[in-house]
Amino acid sequence: MEWTDLIVIAVKTAIIYLGMVQVVPIMLIVERRGAAFIQDRPGPNRVGPFGLFQPIADVIKMMMKEVISPRQVNKALYLLGPFLVLLPASLIVAALPFGDFFTLFDKSYMIQIANLDVGILYVLAIGSLGIYGILFGGWASNNKFSLIGAMRATSQIISYEIPLGLAACGAVLSYGSFSLREMVMAQEGTLLGALPHWGIFYQPLGFLLFFIAAFAETNRLPFDLPETEAELVAGFHTEYGPMDFGTFFMAEYMNMATMSALMVSIYFGGWHLPWISDATLLEGLGSRNLLALLQVLTVIVKISFFMLVFVWVRWTIPRFRFDQLMRLAWKNLIPLGLINLVITALIFYFKGAI
Amino acid sequence: MREGLFIAFSLFTIAAASGVVLSKNPVYSAFSLILSFFGLSGLYLLWGSTFMAMIQILIYTGAIVVLFVFVVMLLNLQVIRENSPNLLFVGVVSATVWFFSLIILRVLTRAIPTNVTEIPTNQLRTISKLLFTRYLWPFEVLSLFLLVMIVAIFAITRAQEISHGGEKV
Repeated sequence: MEWTDLIVIAVKTAIIYLGMVQVVPIMLIVERRGAAFIQDRPGPNRVGPFGLFQPIADVIKMMMKEVISPRQVNKALYLLGPFLVLLPASLIVAALPFGDFFTLFDKSYMIQIANLDVGILYVLAIGSLGIYGILFGGWASNNKFSLIGAMRATSQIISYEIPLGLAACGAVLSYGSFSLREMVMAQEGTLLGALPHWGIFYQPLGFLLFFIAAFAETNRLPFDLPETEAELVAGFHTEYGPMDFGTFFMAEYMNMATMSALMVSIYFGGWHLPWISDATLLEGLGSRNLLALLQVLTVIVKISFFMLVFVWVRWTIPRFRFDQLMRLAWKNLIPLGLINLVITALIFYFKGAI
Repeated sequence: MREGLFIAFSLFTIAAASGVVLSKNPVYSAFSLILSFFGLSGLYLLWGSTFMAMIQILIYTGAIVVLFVFVVMLLNLQVIRENSPNLLFVGVVSATVWFFSLIILRVLTRAIPTNVTEIPTNQLRTISKLLFTRYLWPFEVLSLFLLVMIVAIFAITRAQEISHGGEKV
């Protein structure tokens, strides 16, 4: 490995990570305007053209506010809380594939920070660490509401990790690989002449389970029981000041983005356009780097679609009750996940992986 | 490089593990336990066993310790710790016995390879093959054992429910 490689890889990593962070300000305005659109009101439209500078105003407000931490908190864990949530959300970005590869100085580089052969395990493992931030933050706040919020978050995320993992197991079985990159590679071209060759047509039930569990894992409505404002003030982040709360917020959007990217990579063909194979595209475009650009754009469009779905669902479906939430996970989703796993195993035992 | 990383990860793991035993606050103990699992997973990675490293984080850090922390926070163990007898003597004795029995076992069996030179290219395939052929019966017995434990837990919690006059605990 030469020093040019190191520089290219460092710049690539920075661009991918910072690109992913841009989800936060964009979602800030998309969510508020989306909510307004669904509720038939104008929404924030004063700052800049169409209210597009609203996120900047929001962030400036958060930065300028006085930082207060209550006297009764456990200082160390209280301060650590928001970062323990943001860190796993950021680490997951490393394993996500955004495109095949680009060439620079006659060398090709992957459009992915690290191509792990245990990609999906890495994502699930690191993703499961996000609760520690909520748990320690909620406990360290030394407030009953925070503690109850943290407890709810823990039991919810632990429960929904099982259907999520079972759905992922089904996908792993059908692709015969743990690597997210290989999964995307397998989804090129057409299926049965008419459908795009996407994972969702092999794992429809698996996708449904993954989709539902993704909402619970990211603490989004209809599963945002840890921060129900009607019962728990604000749940685990009741005692947090401006930017600490902002960090929790950032982590939530990062988690949504990584979950969307995962769904895109596993079930919706990743960087592949439907029906068209990469070889045909390369012939039409004539350049590797143009193809790479097209692939990245494809992934961005697909991720944006799922982000919109997250907003759409948030303002459409009312919140669950906690016992309903638990019943859904343990009595419906987990048995369905097991059935899906058994059926997938049987089919691919006789037929072989995709 | 390898030796340096090995020493760094080992020291980190040992330091975190001592933190589990030595810290007065049970929540800090749990936090140290998480850190020590990360050190352990780093060691697995160093040996080239990415699968084990990920499973270590996924199962232990991501699920089991979460439940530890959950219980610790829910029960407020500070009170219990103040009222519990001093178990230092018992701890030291059992640790010594465990340590020497490990050495005796090591001398008797010599089963553990001292240096891992060959890392299988497809670890998952290797592990699953062994699990479903040579170690099939231990594997099945373990799963049965887990099932029995789940049933036992249900039986115990239901018994409590009845003794509380039908009120849900």
